[in-house]
Amino acid sequence: MTTLMATRTQYPSMDDAQLAIEARADPEAFAELYRRHVRSIYRYHLAHTGNVRDAEDLTSQTFMAALEGIRSFRGAGPYITWLIGIASRKRLRFFRGKQPEVPLDAALHIPAPSLPTERAAARRLQIDKVLAALRTISADRAEALILCFFSGLSFAEAGLVLRKSESAVKMLISRGLQDLRTRTSLALEVDYE
Amino acid sequence: MNKDMLDQLPADEQPVASKLESVVEDMKVSPGFQWELENQLMDAYKTKGQPAKGWQAKLIPALGWAILAISAAFLLNLTIRSLAPDALPAAAERPGPEISFADNVRQGDICEGRLALAHGLNVFLTTEDKTGFVPVDTGNSLDELRSFAWSADGERLAIVGNTTGSGNIYITDPTGGETGYLLSASEAGYLRDAAWSPNGRLIVLWSSQNISTLYLLSTLGHGLIEKQLDVQILGTPQFAPDGNIFFYGADRTAAGLFTLSLEPSQPFLLMPEVEDESGFAFSPDGSLLAYMEYDRDEGEAHLSTQKPSKGEYRLLGTLPIPRGSGSSLPEAANLSWSPDGKVLVFSFGRNTADSAIYLAYSDGTGLVKLADSAYAPTISADGRCLAYISNKQVFLMDLAGVSSTSPSPASALLADLPAGRGSANFRLDKLQWRP
Repeated sequence: MTTLMATRTQYPSMDDAQLAIEARADPEAFAELYRRHVRSIYRYHLAHTGNVRDAEDLTSQTFMAALEGIRSFRGAGPYITWLIGIASRKRLRFFRGKQPEVPLDAALHIPAPSLPTERAAARRLQIDKVLAALRTISADRAEALILCFFSGLSFAEAGLVLRKSESAVKMLISRGLQDLRTRTSLALEVDYE
Repeated sequence: MNKDMLDQLPADEQPVASKLESVVEDMKVSPGFQWELENQLMDAYKTKGQPAKGWQAKLIPALGWAILAISAAFLLNLTIRSLAPDALPAAAERPGPEISFADNVRQGDICEGRLALAHGLNVFLTTEDKTGFVPVDTGNSLDELRSFAWSADGERLAIVGNTTGSGNIYITDPTGGETGYLLSASEAGYLRDAAWSPNGRLIVLWSSQNISTLYLLSTLGHGLIEKQLDVQILGTPQFAPDGNIFFYGADRTAAGLFTLSLEPSQPFLLMPEVEDESGFAFSPDGSLLAYMEYDRDEGEAHLSTQKPSKGEYRLLGTLPIPRGSGSSLPEAANLSWSPDGKVLVFSFGRNTADSAIYLAYSDGTGLVKLADSAYAPTISADGRCLAYISNKQVFLMDLAGVSSTSPSPASALLADLPAGRGSANFRLDKLQWRP
């Protein structure tokens, strides 16, 4: 790990596509890609599962699959959309055979050790309500919100994943935010700062 | 979401967007998990081809299983080599029934037709005497070759390839002699697999880039037809004998076996019980659908047949699955029927080490384990031979010697897996006898 930490600045100027090519033969390049996108993939899975354990498991599976398939990434689209494609398939396989319902109350062990208990509880409540609300709105609006807010994709990248135009993605997000506003008014208005 | 993106949203929604953004910021990855996964990825990279399993995998059981698997594979290999005439010439001095079986196959007396193999991003056919594999692309002029599909009459072999992410379909004859493009640099994107219609007029494609689009390619020169679906295709679509298309897929709420007619329509979920990408297959006459179903509470996997109309259900056999396997359940794969519809074979397991090949009788009289550490089973057109991959080699087994009451007959070595063009992954290996 010391070696990995020491080489973290090795690829500052390389974009993802260049790194993905390097990663076919260079483990450090793959590690750099991993560090760049682990948060996006983790949040993507957490948004869908609402469960830290499952989100970590699916994140692990996603990157293991990306490692196995890195040679098949051809740069036809952004690396993150390719990675989200893998994450999406892992998620669907995870949910196969069971209802996509998640034990929200048992989940969300969001690490926030520095927060006072009340703030941590309020924060947990907010996240809990947002994730619950995402499950009540239409699937394409929820997916657009998850891709752009949780995974940090641009409108154009989300459009590639969803096979929709950029303007269609903006529309989905706008409608999704309206839905969230009506369904999570308490959660989004309570601020713990 | 950056400020520029926020600014592009309607002003009314921007406060909610900002709040949502701040909530999401609190969803942090545990540093311990991130560090551990990075280490595991790097370990897996060093042993690429057999990456590490899930991050939570325990080291000691894994080592134990690995030692057991290697020992079993070594003993099996030793036994098989001692029985195969080409692999160990000394065995020819004491010919037994297994040697005569292998000779019969090589002389073309039984199990006629070549085997096609996809391995390491290349496609191969057996030589006429089945002593080895030769690449279809003998001139090494084609790009990555991912998979293949035999036409129902066995007269044509479609080869699935990709050039910098654009799919190609090549057609060749059963000997790999004449190869030409049927589809070049397709907009369908990266193609993973294909399957022929029963009448040979269409090939259905599976693109890993456009998984909500079904692509139908005319073999009569009418081009590519796209059909947008409201579900995602997660396994190679197949034609049923009646011409309808079936595939493992998922929509927002459920996953399972979907069916789709070629009329203007959307697919509907036929059987949510189906959980494996290739763990289902129609009987040759189209009357029965075989599939694997999982009962996690009981820790069992059930191989069953059902009439597509759901009129009759029959349990063919039960296999144990580890309780609490979660998302790492064993998978049933390459489920395929014998031409007479009396037996079907499939592999069951999580990886090459613990995957085994089973045979089930369609009348429900038994389930027989045929080979350990083996996968990609396929039955010859005359129903006599089983071919499969084990320990980087291809083996043949005489199905005439299989019964539910006696040990499985020894296998004969056909050939080593040939070297591919890219990294090998057993999940991408495909082996199919010419129909």
